[in-house]
Amino acid sequence: MRLRTPAPLVAVLALALLSACGSGGSSRTIIVATTTSIQDSGLLDVLLPAFETQTGIRAKAIAVGSGAAIAMAARGDADAVFVHDPKAEAQAVAAGDLVDGVLVMTNDFLIVGPPDDPAQVRAARDAADAFRRIAVAGVPFVSRGDNSGTHAKELTLWTAVGVDPSTLSGRLESGQGMGATLTIASERRAYTLTDRATYTVLRATLALEPLFQGDAELVNPYHAYVVNPERHRGVRADLARAFVRFLVSPEAQRAIAAFGLERYGEPLFVPADPRAREEPGR
Amino acid sequence: MRVEIADLEVVRAGRTVLALERLVIGSGRVTVVLGPNGAGKTTLLRAVAGLERCRGSVTFDGRPVRPRLAVAFQRPVFLRGTVRANLALALELAGISPADREARIAEAAGVLGITALLERPASRLSAGEAQRANLARALALRAPVTLLDEPLAGIDGPARRELLGALPAAFRAGGGTVIAVTHDPAEAALLADDLVVLLDGRVHAAGPAAEILSAPPDAETVSFLGWDTIPGEGGVWAIAPGALRVGRGEVAFSLAVERATVVGGSPVVLGRIAGVPCLARLGEAPPPAPGETVSVSAPRSAVRWFPGSR
Amino acid sequence: MTLWDGVVDAFRLLGRGDPYLLDVVRRTVLVSGAATVLALVGGVPLGYLLARTRWPGRALILAAVHTGMGLPPVIVGLVFYLLLARSGPLGRLELLYTPQAMVAAQVAIAAPLVVSFAAAAFQSLPDELGDLLHVLGAGRMRRLWLLAREARLGLLAAVMAGFGAIVSEVGAALTVGGNLDGSTRVLTTAIVLEASRGEYARAIAFGTVLLLLVLGTNLILTAAQQRGR
Repeated sequence: MRLRTPAPLVAVLALALLSACGSGGSSRTIIVATTTSIQDSGLLDVLLPAFETQTGIRAKAIAVGSGAAIAMAARGDADAVFVHDPKAEAQAVAAGDLVDGVLVMTNDFLIVGPPDDPAQVRAARDAADAFRRIAVAGVPFVSRGDNSGTHAKELTLWTAVGVDPSTLSGRLESGQGMGATLTIASERRAYTLTDRATYTVLRATLALEPLFQGDAELVNPYHAYVVNPERHRGVRADLARAFVRFLVSPEAQRAIAAFGLERYGEPLFVPADPRAREEPGR
Repeated sequence: MRVEIADLEVVRAGRTVLALERLVIGSGRVTVVLGPNGAGKTTLLRAVAGLERCRGSVTFDGRPVRPRLAVAFQRPVFLRGTVRANLALALELAGISPADREARIAEAAGVLGITALLERPASRLSAGEAQRANLARALALRAPVTLLDEPLAGIDGPARRELLGALPAAFRAGGGTVIAVTHDPAEAALLADDLVVLLDGRVHAAGPAAEILSAPPDAETVSFLGWDTIPGEGGVWAIAPGALRVGRGEVAFSLAVERATVVGGSPVVLGRIAGVPCLARLGEAPPPAPGETVSVSAPRSAVRWFPGSR
Repeated sequence: MTLWDGVVDAFRLLGRGDPYLLDVVRRTVLVSGAATVLALVGGVPLGYLLARTRWPGRALILAAVHTGMGLPPVIVGLVFYLLLARSGPLGRLELLYTPQAMVAAQVAIAAPLVVSFAAAAFQSLPDELGDLLHVLGAGRMRRLWLLAREARLGLLAAVMAGFGAIVSEVGAALTVGGNLDGSTRVLTTAIVLEASRGEYARAIAFGTVLLLLVLGTNLILTAAQQRGR
């Protein structure tokens, strides 16, 4: 019958476990609100370590939908934002939550669907027409439904053809990331709007074909911003600016240009001109 | 160690379960608290142990600080481990050095007859064995004050007789004060130096056992002690158990016979006196028939009269 | 097919010691392990008090504990998020998206379970046992330890319940941790990531590893629990 209380032992054990979890926030870290499609592409796994090596700043990339990322900025819960939703970005800039925006890279959206293309999207004139054909044919269509940049673009197109998406007979909402959405579309032989990067990464596992692309409407620009330190106390503006500058630095731009080339045979993103700084909301 | 209880009151759910003005437990003596179930005996014991929320005070040799106490609850409880380990733990908590522990365990086990059980897991004891181990634990502590709740419950036959003889001596040898609680007047009679009769939360009698047992102070006590209580004119007759005999004597009564039988090897007659069931020894005379009325009597010293109701 | 592929993948990844998987598993064990230990340190004494003592607020605390048991982890995560975010009252502490924050949230999830099981375990002990130890002179800590040993069956159930609940939850870990590779990613959040990418086989693989982890832990704890019989 052991007689001594283990209280000191237990306390030491707990503290040991706790500290073994690794250090939490240190002084040179920033929170970057970004999107799931950027994270899912794997680009950040290349860029963030390079950023840390170069500057000693650790960027914590929290991936949510574009809408949620901008909302985080509006609360002051992030230091920098890296998203692709021009309309929401413009609103945030106008509201004064985001400053110092730069165009980092672009790619485009594609409309993918079952190879036999029952809605005849292949023959569409433009992106809006493709969506009209989908609505008219009543075929299944999977939407992100998660306030992401992709979702925002999808809604813009439905509006352009005057269709209320909730009335579509074949509409499915995944509420999840692009990868899961593509898989659902593949399983259900449905159409969906996807960004090129995610589709390229998953193409081999999907039973979907690119059916429409190339319309100017389908350009997908990615911008980075600093959360306005004058509106939100506690924002690490200097470190965030370093991050945004890094994204358009020659080194990062070269990395973006090369990303995916080896593995998929084509780049997933097109880097922006490093010397140009465009305002969003063209 | 002298234990003094003053103005003690224990209230549960709005009901006063125990109320004592003053009770003195003599130092080095075995005091038995006697009473029926529900009288508050266990509550009194727990109050002395400091386990009850109560008004009033309990002092030990005049001081409110509790000394080391030994206790054997009505339900024996042990921790996982052997009987020896359990006893050793109690001694360790009391600050007894490891060297002394072995000797005390052996001694107490010998008195209680559980030496063969020391290495057994405590959870595998029979009820009687567990109670003896419980008592051994209390005995080994040799505490200034020992509290025993129904110490011989669950022990019967030869072991019971033996313990009734050995226990008081063993505890007295330890020099401490013992407060034992029981509902059995016979047990109390054999164990006690001093007796406290507790009925319905109140003390009805307190003093040397011999005095109280031969001259109980009131009707309730007398009734609890097993005396026959016969209602009479303006009061109650109380007859000590076993005092009635068929035939003439100092104080006479009429017994309506129900039947004759043998109790404890002696012939007796069972019947009623004034409607109250009684037993009278028969002696040499032939047994009367059921339905008859016979004259029975008891010596004056065994009969008491309590004026007033019941 | 995906299901089977996933299960096979799990063993393949474990067999070759896949560094990503091992990192995630190690972190899962550390975070949920630390949270369980902390929940025990706070919860067992509280369970003991609830079982043994009687004070006016007791019914209220018991009700709170039972309500806490039914709280969805994602709600707990949300509350901690709002507290720890830059814009929240504790934002200055820079604790969001750290393993420590995850541990804190998981303690909040496990504690009601631990308290509830511990209270039941202590309540199943005979009342006289605590009284006996008290009268014989055992101090409060000693008494708690001795009674905890007696109640080990119920207490080990508390450990299994608490650990099982938090090692398999995802809502709080994701919201409060941020699923950062190399610092706050645990098995459940890794599974969510793979599923949202559409990598279902990998998600199943990680899920299989999680099940193996829970199974292994429960085997060890149950063996310890039954050894006491």
